[in-house]
Amino acid sequence: MVSDSISAVPIPSAANTKNPGKKKRTNRSAKLKQYKIDARREQWLSQGVVKSKGCKDGVDDDVVHAPPPSVNHGKHSLEPLNTRREGEEDDGLIHHDSDSESPTNCPAGVLCGNDSGTNFTGSSSGGSSSSSSSSSSGGCCSGNITEEEGEEEEEEGEDDDDGCLDDWEAMADALAADDKHENPCSDSPPVVLPREGSNLESPNSKPESSRLVPWGSGSSRAWRADDAFRPQSLPNLSKQHSMPNPDRRCVGGVPWARVSTPSSCPICCEDLDLTDTSFLPCFCGFRLCLFCHKRILEEDGRCPGCRKPYECEPVETEASVHGGSLTLRLARSCSMIERS
Amino acid sequence: MMISGGGGKSSWSSSTSSWVPTTSVSASGKRIQREMVELNNDPPPDCSAGPKGDNLYHWIATIIGTPGTPYQGGIFFLDIKFPSDYPFKPPQVVFKTRIYHCNVDPDGLVSMGILKDDWSPALTITKVLLAVRSIFTNPDHYNAVVPGIAHLYSGDRAKHDGIAAEWTVRFAK
Repeated sequence: MVSDSISAVPIPSAANTKNPGKKKRTNRSAKLKQYKIDARREQWLSQGVVKSKGCKDGVDDDVVHAPPPSVNHGKHSLEPLNTRREGEEDDGLIHHDSDSESPTNCPAGVLCGNDSGTNFTGSSSGGSSSSSSSSSSGGCCSGNITEEEGEEEEEEGEDDDDGCLDDWEAMADALAADDKHENPCSDSPPVVLPREGSNLESPNSKPESSRLVPWGSGSSRAWRADDAFRPQSLPNLSKQHSMPNPDRRCVGGVPWARVSTPSSCPICCEDLDLTDTSFLPCFCGFRLCLFCHKRILEEDGRCPGCRKPYECEPVETEASVHGGSLTLRLARSCSMIERS
Repeated sequence: MMISGGGGKSSWSSSTSSWVPTTSVSASGKRIQREMVELNNDPPPDCSAGPKGDNLYHWIATIIGTPGTPYQGGIFFLDIKFPSDYPFKPPQVVFKTRIYHCNVDPDGLVSMGILKDDWSPALTITKVLLAVRSIFTNPDHYNAVVPGIAHLYSGDRAKHDGIAAEWTVRFAK
């Protein structure tokens, strides 16, 4: 993902304004998914792109980062509450985006940070589902093109939102409260000024900071780094949003995977199948696959976990009974094997 | 489940002799590989280990002498050889650096319960290295392979430590 975003970005930046085709090409090459989406966008662009951004585009043209602002306006103007709400939900999730770009936006202050967060939601929502989409939007250098793509991305964001939301629902729910606060800010007009300023200030910095780290990683960890980067730490809101994500992942996800029964046999490291996972040969709770168990029974017959000799079959059966009917059957079959 | 169990039974009984050896070899390789990864990810303190060359079953390890012991400051190299049926049989651990220790025989072979009868397939090289490191601090002079050293350790600890420190300086630095 990182490589994709990087590759996509530099080309457009170098060519600045007038290589929409290249951008799209690179993006496409990077992301097969978006072929279709791009096609939609192009069609859509032909229709609505021109409308959306005359003045602002002109300003942004020089600057590499025109897309985000354009996107924002486009969304707000063009698209009703629905997109915003989606974007809001995404914001909590995607705050990374806002964070990453925050350095540029920082001067504006808290409002800017919020705005940027909301602004990007469109792109970010797309980005969350596929980092490439976000990168593509970011990559657009020229005002016209970027705007178009921005709008496109907006659409992507909308399109993707449905898919994205599924993954992020839990996150979004948790963050919903914070998002509400952000909404008013995003809607407020003042946002535009800081963005433009930010764009002018850091055409280079933005692609580097935002794309290399956040986009590619896609994981919340990268964002912490970004947070550190920000000279004027953005508002508490953005940090709060960005920080909780990693924590939750760590807390909820990691232990989850580790806890329960081992996924592989600690002896032979082969994956445990259903039979193995429901096989509990020793009271100490040490689990191993049936093959290793048999092998040990043939030799010293002691449980690797507690070094006590494996009990004879009846005990095993009893132990398995506690686990449930399924394990009981398994124990019997196992006992039959061992007898043979 | 009963059916599958029966199938497993028949296949086992019919092909046990031919299939166990091959499986054990590949299984040991996978197991050793995993241990290597885990060791790299979370190395025990003052220890390092890894395959000596291309042979996954022959490792070389280093243990740094524990501070506060006569082995302090020494770097001790060990050879670790995994049997082909490794998890089920203990690895062989040999000091390549000379050490004055009652649990290390003159050839460097480490004599520890967990490397012999008390071995458990659930033990890993990480744990073995930690166990070896622990005998720097607490020699098991009741199960010594070099009775003279054990005797000196229990009778004249200062002299034992002096000799051990001298050996450390001479051979392990």
